[in-house]
Amino acid sequence: MTPAGSLLVAQDLHKSYGPTPALDGAGFSIHPGEVVAVMGPSGSGKSTLLHCLAGIVTPDSGTIRYDGRELSAMSDAERSALRRTEFGFVFQFGQLVPELTCVENVALPLRLTGVKRKEAERRSLEWMERLEVADLGHKRPGEVSGGQGQRVAVARSLVTQPRVVFADEPTGALDSLNGERVMQLLTEAARSTNAAVVLVTHEARVAAYSDREIVVRDGKSRDMMLEHSV
Amino acid sequence: MSLLRDLALGARFALAGGREGWTRTLLTAVGVGLGVALLLGTTALPGALNARNARDNARNDYGASVDGGPAADTLLIGRVDTQFQGSDVRGRLVQPEGPEAPLPPGVSALPAPGTMAASPALRDLLASSEGELLRERLPYKVVSTIADKGLMGPHELAYYAGSDLLKQRKEVVNDRAEVLRVKAFVNPAPQQKIDPVLALLIVIIFVVLLMPVGVFIAAAVRFGGDRRDRRLAALRLAGADRRMTRWMAAGEALAGAVVGVVVGALFFVIGRQYVGDISIAGLNVFPADLDPSPLLAVGVALAVPASAVAVTLFAMRSVVVEPLGVVRTSVPRRRRMWWRVLPPLAGLALLTPLMGRGRDRGTFNQVQVIGGTVLLLIGVTALLPWLVEAVVRRLGGGPVGWQLAVRRLQLTSGSAARMVNGIAVAVAGAIALQMLFGAVEGDYVKSSGEDTSRAQLFVPLGDSTPDQQVRDLGALKSVSGVTGAAVLGSLEAGEKAKEPQHFIPVTVGTCADLGQAAALPSCKDGDTFIATGGAWEPELATPPGSTIYLDPATGGSATRGTAVRWTVPPTTRKAASRPDPMGQRRPGLMVTPGALPRGAKLPIHSTAFVSTAPGDKLAKERVLNAAAKADPLTSARSLSDLQTSARFAGVRKGLYIGAAAVLMLIGASLLVSMLEQLRERKKLLSALVAFGTRRTTLSWSVLWQTAVPVALGLALAAVVGLALGSVLLRMVGRSVTIDWVPAVSMVGIGAGVVLIVTALSLPPLWRLMRPEGLRTE
Repeated sequence: MTPAGSLLVAQDLHKSYGPTPALDGAGFSIHPGEVVAVMGPSGSGKSTLLHCLAGIVTPDSGTIRYDGRELSAMSDAERSALRRTEFGFVFQFGQLVPELTCVENVALPLRLTGVKRKEAERRSLEWMERLEVADLGHKRPGEVSGGQGQRVAVARSLVTQPRVVFADEPTGALDSLNGERVMQLLTEAARSTNAAVVLVTHEARVAAYSDREIVVRDGKSRDMMLEHSV
Repeated sequence: MSLLRDLALGARFALAGGREGWTRTLLTAVGVGLGVALLLGTTALPGALNARNARDNARNDYGASVDGGPAADTLLIGRVDTQFQGSDVRGRLVQPEGPEAPLPPGVSALPAPGTMAASPALRDLLASSEGELLRERLPYKVVSTIADKGLMGPHELAYYAGSDLLKQRKEVVNDRAEVLRVKAFVNPAPQQKIDPVLALLIVIIFVVLLMPVGVFIAAAVRFGGDRRDRRLAALRLAGADRRMTRWMAAGEALAGAVVGVVVGALFFVIGRQYVGDISIAGLNVFPADLDPSPLLAVGVALAVPASAVAVTLFAMRSVVVEPLGVVRTSVPRRRRMWWRVLPPLAGLALLTPLMGRGRDRGTFNQVQVIGGTVLLLIGVTALLPWLVEAVVRRLGGGPVGWQLAVRRLQLTSGSAARMVNGIAVAVAGAIALQMLFGAVEGDYVKSSGEDTSRAQLFVPLGDSTPDQQVRDLGALKSVSGVTGAAVLGSLEAGEKAKEPQHFIPVTVGTCADLGQAAALPSCKDGDTFIATGGAWEPELATPPGSTIYLDPATGGSATRGTAVRWTVPPTTRKAASRPDPMGQRRPGLMVTPGALPRGAKLPIHSTAFVSTAPGDKLAKERVLNAAAKADPLTSARSLSDLQTSARFAGVRKGLYIGAAAVLMLIGASLLVSMLEQLRERKKLLSALVAFGTRRTTLSWSVLWQTAVPVALGLALAAVVGLALGSVLLRMVGRSVTIDWVPAVSMVGIGAGVVLIVTALSLPPLWRLMRPEGLRTE
């Protein structure tokens, strides 16, 4: 499973937490601008696959290549730098820093890469505008609704114009209406910047926004498109 | 009834709330337990020190000395206290004069000559290689052990040795050895009344040490408050109203505090077993003596849970617990300052009338002193949240670590201030105490007048024959490490051979040795001088050419002196007296040996001032051994520049012990709070790491988050401490001078504790920043 032109490719990944295997020979690939949904039941290993692909967790064995570079050959500092500059993240509960205002939260990844505060906040506001939350700039996460917070989190994931966005159950804590809107905005924004999106979800409704689906079960992955084409 | 039901429900959550509930209760219990153990220790300390003094009084022999001759129930005692490697050794030689001679406390039978009853610590020291030199000084066989009731503390070095010399020495006229005759061991002297300034110091020490403990307990009952609030929100959903949630929270705190009291009692009981092993600045107490008064212990057991309820109810005022698990963490209402300045102003108002009272106008009203000091120190805890909020509101900009810290402080300035309150109160109190100690120290720590730059030891050469004295001196000079010895002899002279009315002291020594006691114009053997500027004016004038009697007969026919007739040489010159190495300005005649009548057998009391090599730390011990060998009843000792009032030294020791314990406690409290905060943010930290946040960025954020409130807290503590110190100085009638060294050092110690705590919290922070924290995502 190494389609030509893939931005991120993983092969034969194994990962165990103690005696419990989370990944057992899983594979994955994604092209620039592509939205791939990783589906599967709870505990199937889909979040672990996302963490391995993002260089957050190191697999026990297997290879992950990003843009031709082997992730396992990189140091922790290099992987962190990669996450700061090339990747973006959205989590189920947003994980916004509660003490920072929304605009400061969105600006945080830019600030971490050394962009000056004013410039970072200007660029953040642009993204917040695209995600329809510009008026929340000076509110704290505790003062906004779950859907609004999640849109702020999406703005944060895109502000550095990453090449890959990792979204782990981005609508898991939202009602269907808010969930749909967040997915719409996320996929539109990602496509406009040609960013690839790795979307972990267990909801078919959410997966419908993807170009391709990969199902993970018992640590093994199956590319549904390949199977259909076969 | 409903209040009690809510309290009980809250307590049930604390004790049966699963792993999370237990963790929170355990944290609270350990925190409260540490505070309770310290409170129990503090309430037991006065009793322990009293018991220590009572033991000392019970074995007192000095005040029990009786007049009259030997009897069946008399015991002769020779005081042979010494020092070994800086530690005091209490020594007594004993010789019974009849079968009913009294036994010293803790001794089952009087030791026979050549044997001794030793304290356990001395017995162990003598048996060890470190005690080798002391074994030479105390060549007695240990035949029994002094029981606890005969000792001040478990580490005391003490012994009673049997002797057959005392009877003979008691009968020698003018023997400088201290031989007492006693019928019982008791101190008939009334208990010394404590000086009002010292009493004030003790009161302030108690307040200053106990206040931070109280603040700490108040903080401990709020450990894990955020999680508790979330749980209460769920209860609101189930129908609980705000009042009920407040009382349930109080119930949880109450359960934690009650468990904490039990844990504290356990800590205290366990810690007490080891108290005997600890000796701080020479002070140690028996575990059995560390017994808190039942009334105070019950007071602690009731006050701590009651304060836990009160503190929680007070804290819950500003927490809005809403249903649906949402506790809005919006910016809290701005704090007002006006009521926060009231406690310190009230404190000043209470203390101001006591100003200028000094030590001569009776004792200080303790209630007023305690009230005033407590209110002033409470001012720190009241003003600090306002100060932190007011300052951090104006902060902004800077790198990411700084921004994260400042924003967090802006959101939760109250909990940041709470974390620092304890240390700020301790530092404020310590600064005030240091100022007071510094100002009154001169009254209690005096220069002894002894000059250790000229000699390090004082060795009486006994009252034996001049030949023996020469031999003893030779033996001293041959001791390894001795670099020199000046010998000054002394005797008295009168205007008549028998029962003179007027006396003049006569100091005898070589020209070089006399130079230790007077500035001699020039000198050769055979010269005589009359000292000017001595410590007192002799009764007898001795112009050159006058006739006097050296060692005249006094006290009736039973005691006869040698009464040698002597004419003060016409060549006698004046010489200005100077302090000898013991600090005495000797008056009277100063005579070189060649000027004394040839062949006269005069009983001259000679004292050697011995100098030792600075690098040879054992030389002093060897000199004391040689002195003890020449005379087992010797009063030879090391010279010391300073003389400290024992009571003042005791109070200061108490302060050091207490301050060390409080700082450790506050450090532990800070660490627990910090870990608690980090635990709360575990998932957020992992998320921050996921999008590439550097460890150093988050470490800096933790450091700033602690450093900003600590800096503000210490600045406020310095201001309040200096204010309280100034008021205290005015109270004892001293002018206010600010000694910056103790103030800065106290602030430095406080900052040091915080830095250590921050450093200790970094490894857990790094551990929490591991990506595994995202697994439940």
